[in-house]
Amino acid sequence: MDLDARIKLAAYAHFAETGRGPIPAEVARRSGTDVATVLDAYPRLRAQRLLLLEADGASIRMAPPFSGVPTPFVVSVGGTRYYANCAWDALGIPAALHEQATVQSHCEQSGEPLRLNVGRSGPEPSPWLFHCLVPAAKWWDDIVFT
Amino acid sequence: MVFFRSEERAQDWCVAQGHTLRPLVRMDQLWALATTWYATRLQADSRRPKPEEMRSIFTGLGLTGDFWDPRSDTFG
Repeated sequence: MDLDARIKLAAYAHFAETGRGPIPAEVARRSGTDVATVLDAYPRLRAQRLLLLEADGASIRMAPPFSGVPTPFVVSVGGTRYYANCAWDALGIPAALHEQATVQSHCEQSGEPLRLNVGRSGPEPSPWLFHCLVPAAKWWDDIVFT
Repeated sequence: MVFFRSEERAQDWCVAQGHTLRPLVRMDQLWALATTWYATRLQADSRRPKPEEMRSIFTGLGLTGDFWDPRSDTFG
């Protein structure tokens, strides 16, 4: 496994195990490297759209489907709570973890709460809908807005 | 990328916000997208779908038209 893959997996493993984003020292520990090596790899992982970094270049805003900051898309798996980046990623977390989950969010128009049970083969039948304002070709122009 | 309780709610929100209503996606379609994008994300060799793969995935789910065309989605 190449270095960038080790660092990516280390960051993602921390999200998967804790529901929170790792600091660079934690990624270094998990990947058997050092902080400078981790920080050097982060822009390359950003270029592959596997990480979105904060302005400090060290804090992970997104490791899709995981969010490093609280959002209105909360996913519960066992006793761990995760924040997803968006509605798509809210289903992406149980898909990535291959675990049953409960997604909690709301209707963007009415505020009505959504509580969606997701099994290993998909969500329970639901009339709720997903909507994205931004065309696919523009998603990463401003992925936080998307 | 948000949830709506119904198409009517989505329409109302777009009118109120001055946005164009985009194609709405069912939960079973969204699950297919989520698994395609993320089922291998915790593996070493995982990667995002490339534009041609994205187009094929969307078409297979009935998500067609310019909105779903990732042709300018280049990878850095």
